[in-house]
Amino acid sequence: MGTAPVFEPSETDLGMIFANKYFLALLPVVLILYFLSRTRARKYNVLLVASWAFYAWLSPWYLWVLLLLTLIDYRAAIRIEDAASERGRKRWLFVSICANLGLLVAFKYTPFMYDNALHLGRWCGLAVTDRHWSILLPLGISFHTFQGISYTVDVYRRQIAAVRSFRDYALFVAFFPQLAAGPIVRAVEFLPQMHTPPTPTAKQVAEGLHLFLIGLFKKLFNADQLDVLFVSPVFANPAAFDAAAHRWAAVAWAAQIYCDFSGYSDMAVGIAKWFGFELPRNFDLPYLAANITDFWRRWHVSLSAWLRDYLYFPLGGSKRGPVRTYFNLMLLFVLCGLWHGATWAWLAYGVYNGLLVCLHRAFDRAATGRRFWDTVRATRPWAVFAWALTLSQLVAMLILVRMNSWGDGWLMLKSFAAFDVWGAWSPRVPVWVPLLVALVALGHLCGKLKLTAPPPVRAAGYVAAVFALVTLTPGVTKTFIYIQF
Amino acid sequence: MHVPDTPRTAPSARPATHTAPAGKRVVVVTAPTPAVPARGFLARNRTVLLFLLFLFLADFGLGALAPLWDRYSPDDYTARVGGCAERSRDLMFVGGSPVTEGIDPAQIAGVAWRGRTLSDAYAIGLHGGTATDFYYATKRACPTAPRVIVYGATASDLNDSRNEPHGTRSLLAPRDVREIATTRPDAANWTVRQYVTSKVSQASNVYRYRHGVRMWAATQAEAVFPGSCPDALVQATEQRDHADDLARCGTGYAPLKGYTLSRYDQMKAAGHAPPPFAFLNNYRTGAHLKYVHKLADWCRDRDTELVMLDMPVTADLEAKYAAEYAEYRARLADVARDRGLKLIQGKDAGLTDADFADQIHMTQEGCRKFSLWLRGRLEDAGR
Repeated sequence: MGTAPVFEPSETDLGMIFANKYFLALLPVVLILYFLSRTRARKYNVLLVASWAFYAWLSPWYLWVLLLLTLIDYRAAIRIEDAASERGRKRWLFVSICANLGLLVAFKYTPFMYDNALHLGRWCGLAVTDRHWSILLPLGISFHTFQGISYTVDVYRRQIAAVRSFRDYALFVAFFPQLAAGPIVRAVEFLPQMHTPPTPTAKQVAEGLHLFLIGLFKKLFNADQLDVLFVSPVFANPAAFDAAAHRWAAVAWAAQIYCDFSGYSDMAVGIAKWFGFELPRNFDLPYLAANITDFWRRWHVSLSAWLRDYLYFPLGGSKRGPVRTYFNLMLLFVLCGLWHGATWAWLAYGVYNGLLVCLHRAFDRAATGRRFWDTVRATRPWAVFAWALTLSQLVAMLILVRMNSWGDGWLMLKSFAAFDVWGAWSPRVPVWVPLLVALVALGHLCGKLKLTAPPPVRAAGYVAAVFALVTLTPGVTKTFIYIQF
Repeated sequence: MHVPDTPRTAPSARPATHTAPAGKRVVVVTAPTPAVPARGFLARNRTVLLFLLFLFLADFGLGALAPLWDRYSPDDYTARVGGCAERSRDLMFVGGSPVTEGIDPAQIAGVAWRGRTLSDAYAIGLHGGTATDFYYATKRACPTAPRVIVYGATASDLNDSRNEPHGTRSLLAPRDVREIATTRPDAANWTVRQYVTSKVSQASNVYRYRHGVRMWAATQAEAVFPGSCPDALVQATEQRDHADDLARCGTGYAPLKGYTLSRYDQMKAAGHAPPPFAFLNNYRTGAHLKYVHKLADWCRDRDTELVMLDMPVTADLEAKYAAEYAEYRARLADVARDRGLKLIQGKDAGLTDADFADQIHMTQEGCRKFSLWLRGRLEDAGR
């Protein structure tokens, strides 16, 4: 229990992902085959085969997990719809939830639980040996299990009808742009689009190009460069760097994880648009959040919304009194932390977020309606203060999930907390790090101001992005961080 | 509390009221809404089409600056082959990196051979190359056949567990790929894949010259922000200087900086263990050897004399890979005997660890010593 997770986006054989040349070569082939197919059935067959092939390529040992859960949820939803009694409906919903959560827990949490049982055994004086095995996580299991659960729950709630075509349902689960790392797409969002195969409009093609290139740029140019240049070396051995370098590494890490994950999401949404499908956006300028609650409305929106709709509301939400509300919030964020990874550090991340959200809620409830606070909170300096406080809390929180050990994390947190304006710069920080962080800030600013450019300027920008990606990025083989979840 | 202002709107024209005369029907005629003209394909897809157009133009523009990118990221194989092919040569040395670093043609040029002087010499030393690469390099580098070709061989040239992608990219034409597929079926799949990949990657200039652009950009960035990319600058400077040296020397001898700064005996004295020499792993011979025979056939058809030279390496390397060197020497001796070729044993040059930069590459001084010795052996052989 003394060590935190090694959060290293390692080189793995998860080669064919969006930033990989094989994927970039195969994507046009799938697009051409899709548009050459004349009938609905053929089009979806092409997409389904491509999606399963994509999964088999990236996670060959675990295609069966995807297929098994697809089959179970497909059958369970039909049984729920066809069941004559409420008891029968509940039984099949239970089967679906147990199958999804069972496999998720078995693959993701078994080593964690086993290790902690060992520690407990040792604490009780039992002679136990260390674990000499590990479990390879099936690709995207945290995402497609949540999609499966949302589908059967929606059918149970009679919000959607059960899908009678196995192909349609299998494609909803396995649709390759969002299969590996989300966004978590709800059946109500996706299945209606499948009625007739959508034809992408010119606007969708242009938006898809924009999102794909922006995503690729975020991933390869920002996230990977920050990682190679600075973040990995500092987090690997913080003791070798000074406090200012720690602060810059923490900020760079915050920029890196945002670019990595939102880059993937942008590409997923962009690719889906090329097939005519609309996926929900997963990020909304999260580092401009004015408070922690606002942050979770902007960061990994599809997960936040899922947890709200399928966990927080069924637990009673905020309708059962303040104590129950705070309990529900804490539970929500603890599970959110554990969803990301089965480690004590992720658990701490969840607890930290839960406490911040509860504190913010308590403050908001206490301050709202009071003239003084309402006046203060409406001022611009307060907005800047709230934004800065939220951002610093977020950066501190992210140190938790990247640290190699609690000792290293504590060292970096101390450096971060002891902010010194005069010691803000360190010669150990490569000049590119502030520039790359500034690019992320610029992206947020442009998003906030909703700046748009005329088509020729946009096209020139895309070309510049392509050239920068081809010539200046370190490589195209690093795995997306969120795939590990 | 913030109360939004009531929005002000421009006073609209009062609607005309018509009082219909009693008993008469009122017919309301609505003016047709002007139809929004449908935008054409070009207008609808303007951004995407402009992107493709700009991409093509920028790629074309980048290609126009190819010499600049090549200078920062030279293709060593192409540069050496091209340098040799500039004019007819009397004497040509071919082989791997031991030839690159160990033979200075300027020291040997002017050697007498069968009563005539071999005045123009060039060395094509291909780093990491195999016998297959040397054969195709020779074919491309000789507009007219030289009088003498010296093949400076070493054990790794014949290791069938190795294939050098650089050779496939830089030296082969489609018919060469076909030839390899039939001569060395074991390497057919690999060669075709490498060749196709290299040709596809050359379709785009930005992809083709990406490394040169990166090195150039690093140099420019260093000029603006000193210390911003020191590693890339070192690499860029070394590559640019090497490309300049290679073009300037005119003989193919342009020692790499790394080999001019280190000495194997000093490394050993300092206790640095030499790294494993992976080029001899899984040693097996036979397939690449066919290309030594092809080289002999090529020379025979053009009345060029082929001389086999067993390049010297450190005693440590020979001791470490004794079985591999024994097999290699036996194969080399077989070829020399079967084809009636002269075989010069480089180890007779009496080089010591002080003459090597590492286990296999000579220092500049070692190269000078060895080249002078080789000149003597060639004179003897050419009498």
